[in-house]
Amino acid sequence: MVRIDAWKTVGLETLALCCILISVTRLSIAQGVQNATVMQSVESTIAPIPSSDSADLPSAPEPASAIALKSRADQAPATAQKQQSQTDQQQQKPETAPSLGDLGFTPEQTQADARTQALLNKRTHMLKVHQTLGLITTIPMVATLITGPQAKAKGKNGQTVTEPTAANLDFHIALGSLTTGLYFTTAYFSMFAPQIPGVKPKGAIRLHRALEWVHGPGMIVTPLLGIAAYKQENAGEKVHGIASYHGTAAYVTAAAYGTAIVAVSWPIHWKFWEKQ
Amino acid sequence: MNKRILFALLLVALPVLAQSDAQWVLEQSSLTYHMSHPMHEVNGVSHAAKGKGVCHAGQCDFLIAAPVKSFDSGDSNRDLHMMEATRGAQFPMAIVRTRFPEATTTDTTIYVDLEVQFAGQTAQYKHVPFQRVSQGNQVQISGTVPATCSDFKIDRPSFLTVPIKNEIPVRVEMTWLPM
Repeated sequence: MVRIDAWKTVGLETLALCCILISVTRLSIAQGVQNATVMQSVESTIAPIPSSDSADLPSAPEPASAIALKSRADQAPATAQKQQSQTDQQQQKPETAPSLGDLGFTPEQTQADARTQALLNKRTHMLKVHQTLGLITTIPMVATLITGPQAKAKGKNGQTVTEPTAANLDFHIALGSLTTGLYFTTAYFSMFAPQIPGVKPKGAIRLHRALEWVHGPGMIVTPLLGIAAYKQENAGEKVHGIASYHGTAAYVTAAAYGTAIVAVSWPIHWKFWEKQ
Repeated sequence: MNKRILFALLLVALPVLAQSDAQWVLEQSSLTYHMSHPMHEVNGVSHAAKGKGVCHAGQCDFLIAAPVKSFDSGDSNRDLHMMEATRGAQFPMAIVRTRFPEATTTDTTIYVDLEVQFAGQTAQYKHVPFQRVSQGNQVQISGTVPATCSDFKIDRPSFLTVPIKNEIPVRVEMTWLPM
């Protein structure tokens, strides 16, 4: 009887010790693997994130002034609360939590690229200037089109030709010159904006760029035809020959230019009357 | 006395032995941000997200990440502008972490706390609802992350001097498979 009790005690002790040893070993292995994973993590290769508390979710304290979002059609009613993570963390990252290195992204995908960011910043800056100047250019361009008929000699061949007043002619020339100057300044900011390697034009920008081949040459030809027409009028002649296409070239150029602006803004949803 | 101690140790040790980690892998996904402007409504979609989930000791930790440049709005010019505004070359990954009790993984609606790293900032969203649909061994998760530009200190892009709306909700559709 005593021997059986002793056996039970010894057996129980052995079993318990085995269980403890195995469980401790498992935990140690898990810890080791986790540490190795963390060491090899691709996270170390990506750019440091300014927020110092980027590690863990559960540790964030409840927001003192959490913002309850208004319910949206595609969201659950007013339950989502958000908080900018500028608060202290209280818990550690779970040991078993997966890391970015586990997901199989290539280093090229996860590494910061300061050079490309600088290119993007410069590109955006230049294209913003391009956009602003392009919109400003429409004002003298439209004004030039409006003043065009007043700068044109009227009357058919064989009849009395009414010459435009010098003021009308000069005003039209001034507007045309301003348009041309602004146009080519606008074009400069587009042409010399940095290209991002590996990006193929897609979407509305393709039509916007294709129309450059219409309004670009148009903005060269139109002033040249205008100068020819001006010389003919100054010589007391009715505008004739290729110079007589000055107006047509101007209208085609303006139409292509306007289409290019609309194209890059397309599709347009007019919602100004809706409340923000 | 020794027996009691040993029994207590056994009780502590056995659950550890009994634990088995459940792992999940993101099979396919669709992340769609929505940008709103008085003149434009734009959706940018990424199918390049990768994710992994580990359930251990009654808690599940999930990590989902997508390259910022993988979002496609259908206009390369706009996408490059998005990359610039979100500092996407400097901080190329959008990373979402979440942790929730394993017991909730069978619910049809799972409420999770999300930690989102994006554009060099980290924002947390509490109690975000996600719908869960199980099909065979696949689990489909869908929901919307109520992100805003200000959460990530993103200067809102503007058109005709009118900036886009601050809200840029991200619709999430994911299919998970057990590993």
